[in-house]
Amino acid sequence: MLRLILGRLIGGVFVLFVVATVSFFLLHAAKGGPFDSDRAVPEAVQRNIEERYHLNDPLWKQYVTHMERVATLDFGHSMKRQKSVKEMIAEHGPKSLRLGLMAMVFAAIFGTALGVTAAARRNTWVDYTLMVIALLGISIPSLVLGPMFIRWFSLGLGWFPPARAEDFSGYVLPALVLGMIYAGTVARLARAGVLDTLSQDYVRTARAKGLTERVVVWKHALRLGIIPVITYLGPATAALISGSFVVEKIFQIPGLGFYFVGSVSDRDYPVLTGLLVFYVAFLVLLNLVVDILYGVIDPRTRGAR
Amino acid sequence: MRHPGMPIAATATALALAGCSLPDGEYFGRVPAVRDPKHLRYCNNGQPEGLDPAQISSTTATPLAHALFDGLTRYGNDGLPEASLATSWDVAPDLRRVTFHLHDKARWSNGRSLTAHDIAYHAARMLHPLTASPSADGLDWIKGYDLFIEGRNKVLLAEAGGLPAGTIVEITGWAGVSVADHKTAKDRLPDTNLRTASRPLALRDLGAAPAAAYATVPRGTQVVLIELSGRPASAPSPGAETWAYVHWNRGDGVFGWVPAAELDGQPTGDVAFRVRRVPKQQQPGVDLTLDELAADNAAVRAEVDVRGKDLLGLPEVLGIRAPDARTFVIEAGDPTPYMISMSPSRVLRPTPREAVSRSPRRWAEPGRIVTSGPLHLVAAAERDYIEMVRSPTYWDQADVKLDRLTVYSIDDQAASANLYYTGDCDAIRGSNVPTSYLPVLSGDKRGGRPYADFTVAPYLGVYFIIVNTKQFDNVHLRRALAFSLDRSLIPRVLHGGEIGVASYTPGTPIADLLEEDLAACGVARDTPGVAMVIERGKLCYVPPPGLEFDPVRAKQELELARQEMGPRFPKSVLYKFNTGVEGHKLVAEYVQAQWKNVLGIDVGLESQEWKVYLSDTRKLQYQTGRMGWIGTAADPESEFLRIFRCSSPNNRPAWCNPKYEALMDEAATMTDRKARLAKLREAEAVFIEEAPVIPLYNYTQKHLQKPYVRDLHINFIDQPPLWRVWLDPDWKRKK
Repeated sequence: MLRLILGRLIGGVFVLFVVATVSFFLLHAAKGGPFDSDRAVPEAVQRNIEERYHLNDPLWKQYVTHMERVATLDFGHSMKRQKSVKEMIAEHGPKSLRLGLMAMVFAAIFGTALGVTAAARRNTWVDYTLMVIALLGISIPSLVLGPMFIRWFSLGLGWFPPARAEDFSGYVLPALVLGMIYAGTVARLARAGVLDTLSQDYVRTARAKGLTERVVVWKHALRLGIIPVITYLGPATAALISGSFVVEKIFQIPGLGFYFVGSVSDRDYPVLTGLLVFYVAFLVLLNLVVDILYGVIDPRTRGAR
Repeated sequence: MRHPGMPIAATATALALAGCSLPDGEYFGRVPAVRDPKHLRYCNNGQPEGLDPAQISSTTATPLAHALFDGLTRYGNDGLPEASLATSWDVAPDLRRVTFHLHDKARWSNGRSLTAHDIAYHAARMLHPLTASPSADGLDWIKGYDLFIEGRNKVLLAEAGGLPAGTIVEITGWAGVSVADHKTAKDRLPDTNLRTASRPLALRDLGAAPAAAYATVPRGTQVVLIELSGRPASAPSPGAETWAYVHWNRGDGVFGWVPAAELDGQPTGDVAFRVRRVPKQQQPGVDLTLDELAADNAAVRAEVDVRGKDLLGLPEVLGIRAPDARTFVIEAGDPTPYMISMSPSRVLRPTPREAVSRSPRRWAEPGRIVTSGPLHLVAAAERDYIEMVRSPTYWDQADVKLDRLTVYSIDDQAASANLYYTGDCDAIRGSNVPTSYLPVLSGDKRGGRPYADFTVAPYLGVYFIIVNTKQFDNVHLRRALAFSLDRSLIPRVLHGGEIGVASYTPGTPIADLLEEDLAACGVARDTPGVAMVIERGKLCYVPPPGLEFDPVRAKQELELARQEMGPRFPKSVLYKFNTGVEGHKLVAEYVQAQWKNVLGIDVGLESQEWKVYLSDTRKLQYQTGRMGWIGTAADPESEFLRIFRCSSPNNRPAWCNPKYEALMDEAATMTDRKARLAKLREAEAVFIEEAPVIPLYNYTQKHLQKPYVRDLHINFIDQPPLWRVWLDPDWKRKK
């Protein structure tokens, strides 16, 4: 186990290095800079601005500064806002986290319930209906689902605010919209996983012991059947927590997701590279957690590693 | 990536809204009961890039900063300047100087009196390279501007080569090499203002005791001297001693005052410079006739060798003076008719030196900010909200109707309209409505019944096609493209009441002018086109008519182009536009159809991301494309005509016409304002006939205001005095 963790961490550092390098050069290769606007300023003024942000240094020098910052987990200052990237993560991260966790919890519970019920009633009309719902959840993009939910539940019924999540009720619609795609996937994975385990010997044993079908499915089959879901939830959590541009934009939630896109269109170099490194670090970490969880859930893998 | 673009999101919301049929009321959405008549909830069009007048430039930020920071003049309800800190002003007959007379009632929110020295400080700060303000060119007309932003004009401290001490000189070279030959980036002009001290420097407010220091510069550390007390453009010295205001480059930087005598080291003192006096036209305080100035500009100015220790960059090299606490003088190099039109702008909204000094980049945040305007900032969260309250120290309390202003920073237009619909905002920022909502709001898709709370008004902006004149160098080709567009169709394409005219300088439709302005414009009510009112009832500019739709002439011009260009005649035309705004695509399709139908030209469309588009059009990697230009003051010259001069960084068509240049140069020396406008009109006519750009329409602004909102004035530059707004609980009865 210790070797696993250590190996993953070393690999993670390498991945971070590659991401920080590639994102730096890709973004700098894109045309335009952070201070271009349709109202171009005289050359001398432009030079003064670039000097202030060291944009007139040679690219290799900017790269070295950038990597030094990444190595010390600093990430530097935004060029468009008077804030450091760290401050931005601290300010907006929790809002994405809150939204992402709510969406995650919804996706995990709703999706698993859907999938296991479908598996228990496999090849009946219940199974088919639930799987169509799951498919809809996966295929309707949030930029369609969001406005539809706003139209029905906010403008129509007036249950939730249409934008600006100030309290729990403000987070309900965005969390549902964000969680829906993941819930659909979780449902399909859970169904497949449980179906797979239902044909296993130990399940037959459980049935032979005379246990009810409910106990067999929800206690014994689910335990192993859930593994694909867990595998999926690791990276999904990282994606959910780092924010969703579309959902945050539709519902005007000041989370982190906006900056993944906003910093590209702003050419705000430190913010984009900083956020990517942060996101990838998160991803590496969660994948590691998932690997450890395998061992906890499935007694058979413990010996294997 | 998993993130598609924002316009799709807006479209989808619009579809959901329009598709599900809106309630058929008189107003768009719910009209809640007024809970607090002195609290406005305003949906702004995004997160402002800041609130420091020196660092902002967007329409998102400026109206907020104008509520926080008072100016010599402020934008009145009609968007034209009205007296504020200044009670009156005298404009010199040659239009090269304005003297503002200030009242003594103004206070900063920390209680300190606001004086002319504060305004001088801010003007110099706007232009200082350390500030790196994106709006520095807003003051490009004042004396000394060009040299100052390059750090090249200095005060001569000791007599040298016949130039007396105190002369303003420009550096023409150093270390034996001329400025023009010092090209590489590492070869920067040595800063004569570098100083060190043999003892630690206690940075503090002017005249404060050393114990009140908020930062201490270690011994021997380099600082930059910014100004000295007691000089013509600076605050008076607190006692007999001269104080120096310095910048220490630590972290985000810090500024502060110290007794000047403590700065005893001068790292660049021995650098050899070559200087000459600046032209008399750029010397503050020098009054000569325009002919005398022209003669001096042509005269040879002798170059003199001096050492760095005899040169000092100070704000007084600029045309700004504060002779006393209640008088502010600003001087322009050329006759500048728009000095008053520009005076309410952010470039002359003083900022509080004590706050800026301590935290130059972050002083305009809640807790640190010191304000001078009707409202004071109390809270802010990025991309969320900004909270302002009535400022108890503001001098003109009777003018303030609001006690609280909550600004929601909403960058999604659909979200903004939705929040308005549910009654969570009382009003939304001009034009922050999705294009796809306009057919419904304007009544086009509602049997011609617009919502009663929806308003469309003219906006000082023009939407035009830019033509790369290096590729499309044949004027007949450009004119053919211009003649073939039927602008009257545009409101039916965009549904926002756009003013489809082929003229360039925007304005108000002549049909909608006030009676008093009609006379000033010298036009009849039924004259087609628009006019720009510069001074109510006094001064007006009517742009020359554009190349309006004329399919016959379009084909004639095209034939001429075909003959003249021969094999170079383009087989097809590429039209580029930027993504992010639905309307640009609709306009592109309209242009494509028109050129195809009238001229038979195949038009390719290409959409590009905004920064790529800016870069390509700047580098002339385009044939035709879209561009818009929004003015910030009613002045055709500074706001609209200058951008197409040869040297302008905004001249994307790369059009350079000697006749236009000559007319613009001629206008620039004229002091009779009406004659000058006539000359500008001649220049604009040349521009229009040459068609480097093809104007399509004048912008309009679209507003949604709940029926109880009072005095939220809509003006031609969309600068509403927000503090004058109030909400009427009895709106139904008074309707």
